[in-house]
Amino acid sequence: MHGARGPRWSGLSLALIVTVVLIAGLAPVSAQVYPARSLTGIIQWGAGGTTDRVSRRVTPAAERALGQRIVLSNMTGATGAVGMQYVYDQPADGYTLLYAAENPTLYGVLGISPRNFDEFEPVNLIARSIPVVVVRSDSRIRYLTELIHAARQQPGQIKAGSTGIGGVPFVVGAMMSAVSGVRFNAIPFDGDGPAIPALLGGHIDFHVSVLAAVAEHIRAGRLRAIAIVDNAPSDVVPTVPALGQMMPEYRPYLPWGPFFGVWVKRGTPAPVVRRLVDAFRPAVAAPDFAEFAELLGATPMNLSGDEAVRWVKQWQSVTAWLLHDAKATQKSPEEFGIPRPRR
Amino acid sequence: MVAGIVVGAVPGLSVTMATALLVSLTYAWDTEPALAMMLGIYAGGVYGGSRSAVLINIPGTPSAVATGFDGYAIAQRGEAGMAIGVSTVQSFIGGVLGLVALVIAGPRISEFALKFAPRDYFLLVAMGLSLVSRLGARSMPRALVAAAGGVLVGLIGMDPVTGEGRFTFGVPLLIGGVHFIAVLIGLFGLSEVFYQLGKIGRGRVAQIQVPEVGRILPSWAFVLRFLPLSLRTSVIGVMVGALPGTGGEIAALLAYDHAKRTVRKPTRPFGQGAVEGIVAPETANNAAIGGALIPMLTLGIPGDAVTAVLIGALFIHGLRPGPLLMVEMPNLFWFIVGSYALANVFLLIFGLMAVRPFVKLVNVNKKILMPMIGLISVVGTYAIQNNVYDVFWMIGFGVLGYFMKLGDYPVGPMVLGVILGPLADINFRRAVISVHGSLPAFVAEIVRNPISLVLALLLLSAFVRLPGGETMNRLRRMLRLGKREET
Repeated sequence: MHGARGPRWSGLSLALIVTVVLIAGLAPVSAQVYPARSLTGIIQWGAGGTTDRVSRRVTPAAERALGQRIVLSNMTGATGAVGMQYVYDQPADGYTLLYAAENPTLYGVLGISPRNFDEFEPVNLIARSIPVVVVRSDSRIRYLTELIHAARQQPGQIKAGSTGIGGVPFVVGAMMSAVSGVRFNAIPFDGDGPAIPALLGGHIDFHVSVLAAVAEHIRAGRLRAIAIVDNAPSDVVPTVPALGQMMPEYRPYLPWGPFFGVWVKRGTPAPVVRRLVDAFRPAVAAPDFAEFAELLGATPMNLSGDEAVRWVKQWQSVTAWLLHDAKATQKSPEEFGIPRPRR
Repeated sequence: MVAGIVVGAVPGLSVTMATALLVSLTYAWDTEPALAMMLGIYAGGVYGGSRSAVLINIPGTPSAVATGFDGYAIAQRGEAGMAIGVSTVQSFIGGVLGLVALVIAGPRISEFALKFAPRDYFLLVAMGLSLVSRLGARSMPRALVAAAGGVLVGLIGMDPVTGEGRFTFGVPLLIGGVHFIAVLIGLFGLSEVFYQLGKIGRGRVAQIQVPEVGRILPSWAFVLRFLPLSLRTSVIGVMVGALPGTGGEIAALLAYDHAKRTVRKPTRPFGQGAVEGIVAPETANNAAIGGALIPMLTLGIPGDAVTAVLIGALFIHGLRPGPLLMVEMPNLFWFIVGSYALANVFLLIFGLMAVRPFVKLVNVNKKILMPMIGLISVVGTYAIQNNVYDVFWMIGFGVLGYFMKLGDYPVGPMVLGVILGPLADINFRRAVISVHGSLPAFVAEIVRNPISLVLALLLLSAFVRLPGGETMNRLRRMLRLGKREET
């Protein structure tokens, strides 16, 4: 009985094995048909912002490469953590993309959210913005050195625009305080939107903004850029000196600036990630995107894989420790295993 | 355009969101049709918001909050057709006057708007808040309690200066704050549903029967009678719209406040169905569009959230919105002016065409209508930012609003508190931080600056005009309340 039964069982298990092998064999096939339906793209910042503009500009080309629509929606709140949490809660199947900016690198130390980029895989680090220090054209301050000198003479008197902890003016201010030891009177704004009119109206003395937001005001002669916060001058405003060249002591912190990219949840099958990477890379490399980026005062990066991960890690280390040293963090970067940047 | 009216009429679907969607949709189009489409949505949306405010007491957009105060009361009297007719015509008038201001004095207005310092924004917002004193029809203390509660709710979330959580009790969910549109839909819409359902349960429902829609198009005499008010509120709308930190909702509130202060003999008492209560905010919120376009076109600075998206769209289409746009591309300026003018004409036509089916809504049996409004409230709230917690907040505020109505606490002041409280907070702090935290210096700045001085005097006059000897008591109470908020 037993003997007679044995082969039959093994026949069944053979059938099972065959099935498993078949499914396994089919799996790559089904990955090849990815994407089988339209994708969802969650933009973690609001409509009209730089993250939104970059995302909406780069997506149509990626859609063409994928042969599927990417339905974009803005899901804002809690410095972008709401949108990130949403993508995190979706299955890791490559059908939900996260369009994010640099903010999640600081969620931990600022106590905003338990989410971080380690739980996601970069599809493409699209571009980075370059911060620029601007004053009104009729300001007495003509060079960055003059600004620093003035701030030394009257500590905490010069009115600086601020967009909240971790914002561009805050971090650049922390750099200036760490390197040059100066303090400003930071006037809080909800973003560049209200801060730039306040600068134009003379209600603050200077502001640090991304180039995109002030390029036209500089061109129109209403604002004057006194320094580009980067290692080299920008093609958009070639005459404005770069901070890293003027004062080499700032070089360890540079290049620094907001960045924008596309991520998927970690655990997404490798072939799917590869398909997405291959779709976004040419979209970012396209000449018309470069033109758009220049208009925005941003530098295209087009990084993916380990390169992208390394860039994000380096950025996180520099910024988290700057904020920590400025006593702006809730928790030490050490708690999150963020190493101090090497000098 | 039609889409704009629909979007505006559906609560929660904001004009900003619709415009943002269009940015993707019209990405491949030429710049001109894309812009025309977005301007159409903009005008239609701001106008359409009043429709749901009038018919079901849920402002479709924040700028329609003030319209609901009297509009809903009028509709409940069976004159919804008239209310919508007036709001349409006034939106058109406001739109056209806003456009005229844009064309005639654009650059000058934007230079003037830039002069507004944080302290001036604070004074403006305080003027809006002072409306509370004239909104709580029956009981001032109750209105104040509601408003203070609103301010408290508005302040929940990350402190804009220090980044600390305020009133979050360490709950991460509260860090992002409570979305004010969720509060608005809950307090106005859902609470009304509960209230009415409660009445149905006790068999005390007043079913409105409007056999005929009646006259929709207001007569010339009617329009002319309100024209002085329209003109004044248009000026308010254009100015507030042109200020980079404020949009249609504040314009409408200030206009309502202005009407309440200056109109001696309204058609009916304010809050109970005064036509002036529709005329003022509806003119102002559409005039604010022209106002918001002024800094956008002359300086490349958004006048409100929608123009911020429009600027983004111009960018995506490869243009450079900024101070030089008008100089380098005058055609584009005139194209925008032209298509916005056209949008206003269509607003008038479509707006008046589609009144009848909408008005019939009021006739629907409340047993059917109320659950539907409840559903719309939920869907609309979810649509704000696809966040289910917003729906929970909305329901919570619906329940709160229900009990407030039972206890005769007005919900209007609470919504004012939620919208204006955070604005007052951040601008007051900006202003005080600018003078290094010294209150005497803050007052001195106000006295020294002509704009601030005029605003401060206007604000003071709001209290002095209150009749009777109770004025000083009220003033004192307000001040005490104000101080507590500031610290």
